Parts: sequence; structure tokens; C-alpha cells
Amino acid sequence: MQATHNTAAKAILILFPFAFAALAICSMMIGAKDIAFSTVIQSILHFDASQPDHQIIMHSRVPRAIGTCFIGAFLAISGALMQGMTRNYLASPSIMGVSDGSVFLVTICMVFLPHASSLQMILFSLVGSALGVAIVFGLGSILPNGLTPVRLAIIGTIIGTFLSSLASALSIYFKTSQNISFWFNARLHQLDPNMIKLSIPFAIIGLVMAIYLSKSITILSLGDDTAAGLGENTVRIKLLAIISVAILTGISVALAGKISFVGLLIPHITRFLVGNDYRWIIPCSGAIGGIFLVLSDVGSRFLNAPYETPISIVTSFIGIPFFIYLIKRNGGKANA
Amino acid sequence: MHKHELPRFLFIFILGITACIVLSYTSLVSGSYSISLSEVWHTLLRIQPDPELDLVILDFRMPRIIIGALVGLGLGIAGTVIQAISKNGLADPGILGINAGAGLAVVAFMFFFLGNSPLDGFFSAISMPIFGFIGGLLASFLIFGLAWERGRLDPQRLILLGIAVGTGLSAVSLYLSLKMKASDFDLATVWVTGSIWNANWYFIIAIIPWFLLFLPIILFKANLLDLFQLEEENVKGLGVRTERQKLILLLCSVGLVAVCVSVSGSIGFIGLMSPHIAKRLVGLKHKYVLPISGIIGMLLVIVADLIAKTIVLPAEIPVGIVVAIIGVPYFIYLLFKARA
Repeated sequence: MQATHNTAAKAILILFPFAFAALAICSMMIGAKDIAFSTVIQSILHFDASQPDHQIIMHSRVPRAIGTCFIGAFLAISGALMQGMTRNYLASPSIMGVSDGSVFLVTICMVFLPHASSLQMILFSLVGSALGVAIVFGLGSILPNGLTPVRLAIIGTIIGTFLSSLASALSIYFKTSQNISFWFNARLHQLDPNMIKLSIPFAIIGLVMAIYLSKSITILSLGDDTAAGLGENTVRIKLLAIISVAILTGISVALAGKISFVGLLIPHITRFLVGNDYRWIIPCSGAIGGIFLVLSDVGSRFLNAPYETPISIVTSFIGIPFFIYLIKRNGGKANA
Repeated sequence: MHKHELPRFLFIFILGITACIVLSYTSLVSGSYSISLSEVWHTLLRIQPDPELDLVILDFRMPRIIIGALVGLGLGIAGTVIQAISKNGLADPGILGINAGAGLAVVAFMFFFLGNSPLDGFFSAISMPIFGFIGGLLASFLIFGLAWERGRLDPQRLILLGIAVGTGLSAVSLYLSLKMKASDFDLATVWVTGSIWNANWYFIIAIIPWFLLFLPIILFKANLLDLFQLEEENVKGLGVRTERQKLILLLCSVGLVAVCVSVSGSIGFIGLMSPHIAKRLVGLKHKYVLPISGIIGMLLVIVADLIAKTIVLPAEIPVGIVVAIIGVPYFIYLLFKARA
């Protein structure tokens, strides 16, 4: 059994670059202006600044394809870390209020520091997602039975509502609601190449931490007591994992706003394919998450052509039935 | 203890009504255009009416306060019923996704009918509650149906499914509203955030019959809600057809919620908070809890609306956001108090 799982994991990781390349080219061809395959290839190989199509591809569609893949991967890895760490099948960045924390601090940043640079925005977003995780898990640990799937999901939803309500109240109070509604809604079509470049160092830190932690997360997913018995410092691992989640989710929100359900859905699919070893789950979640989001992004251009549908609507359409399936299967009881 | 229940109830009832009137008056005179007490009286009693004051008081502020009060009343009572039926103190029409279902139906109505033909305001005001009712009903059947397992309702699962279905339905609403014309889109976004600034007399006329239909049924059956707190078998032993009665009560409360949503959009937390506050004040008997819960709901919405419209003059915060900011800390307090 373990062997087949390993093969599956290796296959996913090997196929990932090819799948991404194929999808990325699709994503570059389709849009408000359809561009021919040959032009796409040409503009990547021999960029000609005088041709508008080449400009569109290099400045809008290439960043979009790459950024979308990054975001999908970050969200899926965050979800995998959270699910492994809490042994909670509903844990994920959007349900647990992490994204809302990020939106809240970005709002504060926009209100009080209207001329903040992109780098400052990213930093605020990171602090915000850390704040979101801290509040939700903090309350979860204080409350009786707070870390069971249901309680944590309720606390997450409620804190999320609270933070986003505060954010919109602030934004209306300071009359910046238009800029801020940008942050609430996912906006992959406006991915800023500079933001992507700025976020790369943070992303590397987050990803390295996630992979470094993956072995410990596997042990942690057996239960806190078992992990402690096997000589793991559970508090340290959880703290590091939360930092990693905060970094990865924070960057995603800074790049493209709130995208729901990727972090919930992908780790489950990945676990189904590659088994319970987080050394495989974490990289494979990243690969599948990236592909999933690029695919959803391409789909979002068909739903209401020629306009684009917000990506969160697409991911919700796919994610909600899955969410309901998970609840039906696992029930409301604590899930060991 | 039992001897004091009735006087205590009457005292709180009168106190609550008085507070509502005082706050309504405060709300009537405050806003971006200040009005004095005598001007209010002159306008209401038609002594030397001034068209400008008529416009502000009669066309803008009065309907808004009345709608706010009705919505609070409806949500407070519906919340009490839903909590009693599901035996879950954390149940709330908003969390359970009923708001989202009614909202989706209203958005769908605007999308399919309002965009095409030039319908007058009265027709749409009358039909929106009906659509809201159908949508809320379908959503609650979906949620309760999914949560139903082996003849019983798992309260924990109910809440989770509510969150899930609610998110899904809101996504559909957003999708539909994005396909609308810009002017209809603005109208539709009102439902997403929960706001009563566009209240008018048509809405009031449209929802009053529903209140007159559902409220007496619920109040008449208040004693049954006490019985539902017992074990299922005992209630059946008393000769009550539980499933049938539950269904009737559920239909009535979903109806109330849907009607409220169709005029005010999704205002969460009122249905959650009011029953708890009411139970602290008058004990556990539903014949006392229901009216008090309705009054608390009215108070909460009127206060939230007062805050929403005065804190950022001349702009306004949607009342749903104010309610969420007040409601969430209370919800967390409830979670702390709830036994594990």
C-alpha cells in the first residue's frame, strides 16, 4: 500500500510541470482577447515589445498564470499544515478566519498609511493572517472542546465575520471602501508582477518551513500524546507550523484577496491519492493546488464570457458540495 | 418564583416598549438633518405641515424605523423558535443559511423579472417577500434534510451544514448579481450586507400581512416549545404530534425570517442574541420569552440602525455590519458559557 502511495506521489510531482505548462499556455491564450498558440510561444521565446499581443502576454497573462499557480499551492499547503497539525478535517485558511485577519490589517494599513508600498502591504497582510490564526486557535484552546472540528469551524466563521465586518466598517468610516473591496474579492486578473517578485522571498521561507516540518507534522497527526511520546516538541512544531501558515496565507491574500475552499479541498484529495505521510502530502498538495487554481481560473473566464467571474465563485461551486460531503461522512462529532 | 413571573414579564414588557419608543424618537430626530421635538409633533399631527419636514420624517425616517422594528421583531421571534426546535442555543437564521436562501431567491427575482419589464415599485415590493419565503423554505429543507439522520437532528451537524449551504447560496447570489445591470447590482448588494436605508411604505404594507399571519400562530403554540425541551418520547407520550407541530412552527419562523430578509437583507445575530437575553430576563417559559425576545430584537435593530446612520455622517454603515460587530463578542461569550 505504502509503495503505491509513493508512486502516486512521485507521479504527481513529475507530472506537475507538464500539466502546469499546458494549462498555463491555455490560460495565456484565453481571455478578453483570444491569442493564438503560436503567438503565445513566440512572445515567450522572442519577445517583441512593439506587438500589443506580446505585451499582453508578458505583462498580464504570464504573471497571472504563474501567480495563480503560486497562490493555489500556498493555500493548499497552508490547509494541509493546519489539517495535519490540528487533526481537524475542516481546518483551512478561509474557514479559520486567517484570510479575514489579513484583509482586516490590510484595511488598517490602507486607512492609516495610504501611501504604503507594496512591501509594506505584504508585511501587513502577513501580520494580519498571523493575527487571525492566533485569535481563532487562541479561543479554540481556551474554550471547552474548542479544537473539535465543529467548534473550530464555528469560531473561525464568527471571527472571520467579525474581522471582515470591522474592516468594512473602518473602510466606510474612512471612505476608502472602493479600494478595500478590492481586497475582499479575489482579483487574479490584476496580479501585479512586482508584488509577485516581492513575495518570492517570503514564499521561500514559508515553503522551506513547511517542508522542514512535514515529518514532524506526520507524527503530530497521530495525536499530541503519541507525538510527545515519540520525543517531538509539539508546542514548537505547532508554533512553527502556524508561522508557516501565516506566511503562506498572508502572501496569497496580499497577491489576490480571499479565495475560499482551496485550502480545505486540496489536502483531502491529496491525502486520498498519496496516503498519510505529510512528507508527500505537503509537496503534492502544493502541486495539485496550483493546478486546481489555474484550472478554476481558466474556467472562470467561461462562466460569464466575455466578463470574468470572481475565482471564489468558481472554487465555491466546486468546494461546497465537497464540504457537505465531508460533513455528512464525518458527522458533527469530534474526529479523531 | 412562579408567582412573580407574570408581573416581572409585564414590567419588562412595558419597559422594553418604552425603550423602543424613546429610541425610535431619538432615531427620528438624528441624522444628517436635525429636527426638533415640536417639528416632529407638528408633522405627525399635521399641524402646519412643512413639505420639507414631511419628506424627511414621513418618507425617509419613519419607514426606516418601522421596518427596522419589524425586522428585529421577526428575527427575534424566529430565532427563539428555531433555537427551541433544534434544541441548540447557537442556532441562528443567519448561521443556518436561511438568510442566504431567502437572499438568493430575492436576487434571482430581481435578476429574472426586474431587469426585463418596467414593473412599478409596489408590485416588486409585494412579490419580493413571497420569493424570499420560497427561497428560505427551500434552503431550510435542504439544510434540515441533510442534517437529518436516522430520524433525529444532529445539532452540531446542522450548524456546519448551515454554514456550508449558506456560503454556497451566497456564492450563487453573487454570481447572479454580477450578471445584472449596474443599477440592479447596487440594489442586489443591499441584500448581501443587510441594510434598511432604502425602506419605504410599500415594503411595510407588503410585510405586515405576513406578520399578522405567522406571529399569532407562533405565539399561540408557545407552550409547545416548552414541551420540545423535554425528551422526544415524553412529548409523544403527552399526545402531541411532535413532527407535525415542529414543521408548522418551523414553517412560520422560516416565513418570518424570509420576509425580513426580503426587505432588509441578511442581518445576522439578532435571532441569536435576542432569545438569550430574553431568557435571562423572564425565565424559560416560551409564552414569556417569545414576546420579550421580539422586543429585544426590535431594540437591537433600532439601536444598530441609529449607530449605523449617525456614526459616519453623512455616509452610512450597513446596519448588518453594526449588528455583526455587536453580535460576535456576545456569541463568543455564549460559547464560553455553553457547557462542553
